[in-house]
Formats: sequence, C-alpha cells, structure tokens
Amino acid sequence: MKDLVRMRTSLKEEIERILNEQIKMEAHSSAIYLSMAAWCDRNGFDFSAGYFYKQSNEERNHMLKLFNYVSDMGGHAISPEVTNVPQEFDGFRDVFELALQQEIAVSNAINRIVGQARQLNDFATDQFMQWFVKEQIEEEYVARRAVELFDVIGEEGVGRYMIDKAIPKITYGDVEAQ
Amino acid sequence: MSNTLPLTELFASSKGATYQCDTTNRIIIQFGEARVSLRISDFLTFKKRVDSVDIHTMIFNTDDAYDVEIIDAPRTGHLFVLSLCDLIALRDLLAGTRFVLDLNTLLNERIYSSLVY
Repeated sequence: MKDLVRMRTSLKEEIERILNEQIKMEAHSSAIYLSMAAWCDRNGFDFSAGYFYKQSNEERNHMLKLFNYVSDMGGHAISPEVTNVPQEFDGFRDVFELALQQEIAVSNAINRIVGQARQLNDFATDQFMQWFVKEQIEEEYVARRAVELFDVIGEEGVGRYMIDKAIPKITYGDVEAQ
Repeated sequence: MSNTLPLTELFASSKGATYQCDTTNRIIIQFGEARVSLRISDFLTFKKRVDSVDIHTMIFNTDDAYDVEIIDAPRTGHLFVLSLCDLIALRDLLAGTRFVLDLNTLLNERIYSSLVY
C-alpha cells in the first residue's frame, strides 16, 4: 500500500502545526512593530519610527521564509489572521521593553521548534531553523541594547532626543559603527 | 463494494468504511449513503473540519440551528449533513483512518524503505 501521507509532504503533522504557529507569531510581530513605528511617528521619535518600520519588514520576511518552507515541503502553509495588535503604549521606554519581550518570546518559540524537530528526527527542519536561531541572537542583542540606551543616556533633558538618534545606529557585532 | 479499481480497506465501523486507492492516490469515504473520493490533502482538511466542530455546544444549545452540522467535503461538491450521533461516528471513522495511514507511514519508514533500491 502506498504511503500517501508521506508522498504529500515530508513534514510531520506536529511540525507543520508549530511552523504555522510560528508563521502567525512572525506576522503578529510584524504588525506590532508597525504599530510601534506609528506610535513613535505620532510622538516625534522619527528615527525610532524608521527603526521599527525596518523591524516590521524583517519580521514579515521571516514569516515568508517559514511560509515558503512549509509550502516547499508539501505542507499546508496557513496565511495567518493577525489580531490583538496594541495601538497605544505607555511611553518611549515602554515601547522598547515590549519589543525586547517580543524578541525573547520569538527566541523561545524557535527553540521549541528546534527541540521538537530533533525529537521527531526531522533534520531538514532542524537545519532550516538554524538560520532563525542565529538571527535571534542578533535580534535580541539589538532589542536589549535599545533598552540599555535608556539607562546609559538617561531620559532627562535632551536624553530622549539623543536616544532616538542613537537607536538606528545599533548594530550587532560592530562596535565601531556605534 | 462495487468498484473496478483495486481498493484497500483502511478502517471500518458500523456506520461506514474508508478505503485507499493506489491507482488514483485517493481516500474513499463511505459513510451511510454518502461516498466521496478525496485526495490525501483534502482528506486531512476534511478531518480537521470534522474535528473542529464544537460538540459541547451541539449538546447543550437548545436552538434548532445546533441540531445538525453541515460540513463540505473539499472539491467533491458533497455536503455532509450530520446529526450529533453522525458527527461522533464520522469522527471515529476518520480518526481510525488517520491511525492506519500513520501506521502505514511508520511501516514504510521502518521496514519497507530498506527494500527500495
């Protein structure tokens, strides 16, 4: 008897499900960053707005990368429904703390996928997800550094203006550029 | 069941049976009077639809609208109109079928693959 399930896809159902969950999470992250960009624009933090627009695009690209993978492997990639996107934030610092929390949540989710892929001997997905593991090192670094700037520069006086200007200059692994 | 194509029975219950056709790569569901032939991806979609029905609401909501559930079998043009008992029986049939499909995958992976050169 032919193995119709395996002929359709090499992805196990559980892996397909968690990859689709990750697609949804990346789409949600992209939407949150877009909302943060708009908030920064409304409140005069122009450079930070640019930073969040860029982040939003990156998250969407991550989503597409996962989406293409699921489709290429014969799986059913689900175009996600994005809801519950916050539109208001308590303050400038709060925006960046929330961004860091979001990145940490994404890292944890990616680690869970890798763990599950290894448990199910899905080495293709494990290998594919390694790009995301590396990417999250950078994403978390940048988000953490942004929060750190609030302590290093301070919010008093022209502090917020200075922080806003410094945000887009944060890069991972190149101290000279900062 | 009369069919010119060779079918392998996957699972049978008192309400119906499912078969696999290796010529057309399709799963055939015989449930009551209904008989549909689905591609494997459509079978999995159909199973998800059947599994996603909120049985609890069907049991406890007295509104007539909750007496039956209408589920579309993808790309067959067939609508299943299911009472609560039908729904549970269909779920049982599809779950049994899925188990056999997974068992077949496991057998192919562990035993038969080594015979393919």
